[in-house]
Amino acid sequence: MPLFFGGWLNWLSGPQSTFEVAGPVAKAQLNVFYVTLWVTGIIFVLVAGVLTYATLKYKARNTADEHAAPPPQGHGNPLIELGLIAVSVLALVFIAVPTLKAIWYDYEVPAAEKETALEVNAIGYQWWFKFEYPAEQIAGAGTLVTGNELVIPAGRAVRLNLRSVDVIHSFWVPKLAGKVDMIPNRGNHMWLKADEPGYFWGQCAEYCGEDHAVMRFRVIALSEPDYAAWLVHQKAPGRVVPADAPSSAPAAAYDYKNPGRNAPGYSSAFDADPLGAWVKLQSPEAGEVPASIAHGRQLFQQKNCIGCHTVRGQEGVGVSGPDLTHIGSRTTIAGGVLENSKENLHRWLTDPNGVKPGNKMWTTGYNDSASGKEIFRINDDEARALVAYLHSLK
Amino acid sequence: MEALVQAAPGSHETHAAPKRSWLFTRPTAKTGIVSWLTTVDHKRIGLLYAISALFFFLVGGFEALLIRVQLAVPNNTFITHQTYNEMFTMHATTMIFLAVMPLSAAFFNYIMPLQIGARDVAFPRLNGFAFWVFIAGAIILNIGWFVKSGAPDAGWFGYAPLTSKAYSNQFGGDMSTDLWVMGLQILGVSSVVGSLNFIVTIINLRAPGMTMMRLPVFTWMTLVTAFLIILSFPAITIALVELMMDRSFDSNFFEAANGGLPILWQHLFWIFGHPEVYILILPAMGIISEIFPTFSRKPLFGYPIIVFSGACIGFLGFGVWSHHMFTTGMGSVATAAFSLMTMAIAVPTGVKIFNWIGTLWGGHLKMRTPMMFALGFIWMFMFGGFSGIMHSAAPADAQQQDSYFVVAHFHYVLIGGSVFALLAGIHYWFPLVFGRKVSEFWGKLSFWIIFVGFNVTFFPMHFLGLNGMPRRTAVYDGNMGWNDANLVSTIGAFILAIGVGVYFFVMIYTYFKGEKSGRDPWDGRTLEWALPTPPPEHNFDVIPTIHARDAFWYEKHHQREISREQAVHAKEEESHGGIHMPSQSWFPIVAASGLLIGSIFFVNHIYAGAIAGGALMVLGIYFWAAEGPGGYHVDPAGHDDGSHGKH
Repeated sequence: MPLFFGGWLNWLSGPQSTFEVAGPVAKAQLNVFYVTLWVTGIIFVLVAGVLTYATLKYKARNTADEHAAPPPQGHGNPLIELGLIAVSVLALVFIAVPTLKAIWYDYEVPAAEKETALEVNAIGYQWWFKFEYPAEQIAGAGTLVTGNELVIPAGRAVRLNLRSVDVIHSFWVPKLAGKVDMIPNRGNHMWLKADEPGYFWGQCAEYCGEDHAVMRFRVIALSEPDYAAWLVHQKAPGRVVPADAPSSAPAAAYDYKNPGRNAPGYSSAFDADPLGAWVKLQSPEAGEVPASIAHGRQLFQQKNCIGCHTVRGQEGVGVSGPDLTHIGSRTTIAGGVLENSKENLHRWLTDPNGVKPGNKMWTTGYNDSASGKEIFRINDDEARALVAYLHSLK
Repeated sequence: MEALVQAAPGSHETHAAPKRSWLFTRPTAKTGIVSWLTTVDHKRIGLLYAISALFFFLVGGFEALLIRVQLAVPNNTFITHQTYNEMFTMHATTMIFLAVMPLSAAFFNYIMPLQIGARDVAFPRLNGFAFWVFIAGAIILNIGWFVKSGAPDAGWFGYAPLTSKAYSNQFGGDMSTDLWVMGLQILGVSSVVGSLNFIVTIINLRAPGMTMMRLPVFTWMTLVTAFLIILSFPAITIALVELMMDRSFDSNFFEAANGGLPILWQHLFWIFGHPEVYILILPAMGIISEIFPTFSRKPLFGYPIIVFSGACIGFLGFGVWSHHMFTTGMGSVATAAFSLMTMAIAVPTGVKIFNWIGTLWGGHLKMRTPMMFALGFIWMFMFGGFSGIMHSAAPADAQQQDSYFVVAHFHYVLIGGSVFALLAGIHYWFPLVFGRKVSEFWGKLSFWIIFVGFNVTFFPMHFLGLNGMPRRTAVYDGNMGWNDANLVSTIGAFILAIGVGVYFFVMIYTYFKGEKSGRDPWDGRTLEWALPTPPPEHNFDVIPTIHARDAFWYEKHHQREISREQAVHAKEEESHGGIHMPSQSWFPIVAASGLLIGSIFFVNHIYAGAIAGGALMVLGIYFWAAEGPGGYHVDPAGHDDGSHGKH
């Protein structure tokens, strides 16, 4: 039996557990849940007890019982009924009071924290998330923009303006806050706060079309100094590695074999310390091959990636896909579906439809959206160069 | 009403009037395919509803199994994302509109007129029309499986703007959403037509003495449900017409890109959608409220409170729709208001559970299969009700909304609640309809397999939802802690499927070879049990006079008084020339097929065909009016032993 219940508790633990809360909003919501659980639990025990007792006690034991003279034909008892109604109402008051408190608390950043709160615009696209930092303006380039990984300072309230450019999405990071929808033509907002630095899983929670299941994102909470350093880094233009830069010993080439449709893109090594993995990705990796990077940068233009993506300070003006200025420093690609490894990036570039069927890079980039005819493909050699380039964008 | 009007003495119209043109010759076949296509008998129409609903119940269940196979293991490739999305869209649409609603309608049709001592519904041909329109809607909804564009895939709730042309028309020629829009509109016609018929029937055709506060609770819930349908379907019809305009004629009700308001869809949809939940559960509560008294051998505890709480649920059901929208950013005051309203609706619901337990208290409980399903209903409905209270607390709901916790919740309400009650109802009334009784061993076996399978399937989903698994997701990663619960759930789904299989097999076996049951096998309390099995076409040889709430129970305990009274009434009826019956007619099915043909052309944007189909429908309705109600008389003396009420 303990094993049995232990198993159930395991079922409540995971990257998106609503029990392992890490911020005040999720905590307030969990507390309301516990209130409802207790009140309904007690009512359940009482009602179920009476029901069990009545069933066992008044059950006919044999056919003689069934054919005995009928029991007294009572029609009810108004006092009992009114009493039970009153008790039910009272039980609901127990739930209603903390519910109302939490509704107002969750709705808006508390007044005391308003001044220091960070404001971020979170915008839903089919099927990825864009994050804008309106307070962080870059000379000549406008607002700081990133994709799929929202970096926030721990211990500070974050107010999210939720928008959508196409269909309805919903922003949900279970450990930090319950969801609020991103609805076109509607200015929604929410707030959240991470108590400690951490790495949090999030996912779109409103059905938004073919790839809803693989529209995911991350929230990364950093200490204030780390966050400040990250901002400085992010505001810098895309990192350039000249083709004739001196190269150290090149890293061993990776093996690539397409693992097939829906194949998992996570690793247990990463999951063991995701924040540590994030830190490692912030600095250039050893064994870069400048020639390959330069070739990749050419391909980035030739394959018309620039039509949808931007690498700030280099080429690319497109805004319909995620900003790639610092793609090499992100932990995930393809809308949070794949860990940002060389093999996974290679897979994403050569077989986007196998990772996210119907994604826009495939339907409107690689193919003609009206006819479905192929415009181009990326072969293995091209993909290796593109991987080298994109991973150099730290 | 037709029946009443025509029953007036001096009416000599008969089905064989020789001078009428062939167009208006009424079909008279009593057996064979024509008799079913042209039937106006509420019992036959009820059976047609039941068979169609059970067929779609199996279709929807099959779709659910495909969903569960896909989710059995993480990162599965059993079906594609696209197919998965079609499956959950059609599973929900099928189960709600093509299985549970029509199965409830089957009971309304078959049982309700018998419970109020009527010989048919008020508008027999309209009743046939409602059924054939339902079939037309079902065909339109499912036609996508067989054509290139595929089945509808925008979810049963069809949130704008995902339903707009920009998103479901990506490579051109995708009419799946048009099929969904058209199918639901047609089903709405069927439901509203049927409901008006039931309302008029209950209000006008009750036997003498059957006051409103003597109505069996199932009939009461039929009435409340019918009002919910006629009041809530206009909202979704408006939304669907607007969406159809957007898709077919470039209007901009929901087109976000042109300033349309997607949130408007949600309000219109849920103003329909929440009452719809009660449309699905109130008939179930009505069935349960018949079964408990019968198998406890005592009257329903607190009848007036059960009736008023049912009506109260109906009223409050229109004031809670936005609890489906707690995450849409309504603002604190609106959220709080809908939160409190939702909590309030728990009270009349809880009251019903208290009263059912009160009915058991002090009874002689006969633990037959219907009773097992009914008790299963209470247990499962409690779970679903309690998780519903958890949703009503909006802050907690922010985590639960659109997660598997919600999936667990409403399956506890809709399977553990509605479906258990409907399965109980089938067992309960099977002897009345077919004169055979299901084996207790096999009935109980199917109950236990279904009960276990259901809980193994859906209980783990509570954990999945609270552990952050969103619904409507075709794949999930293996590192999220969702693997075990999903696998268990899938195993449960197959157990549930086996249980349903046993249930159906036993029903079919019983139909052919079951033990003959004779009249009133359960020691029933309501009027339908006064009838022989199967009931004759005219139901009651003599319209009964009602003296008490459990009318038939009263009759059984006051036999001398009743038989004296009936002898007098029989004489009166004879002097009217016997029992007047409505004639069969071709025009309901003709009008409905016009609707079907027109809709198919409309979805394909062939407007000339659409107009032709519409013309056929109008013509059908015109001839329907022109042929008149018709009618003929039967003489019960030559039909039955005429000993109504004797036992």
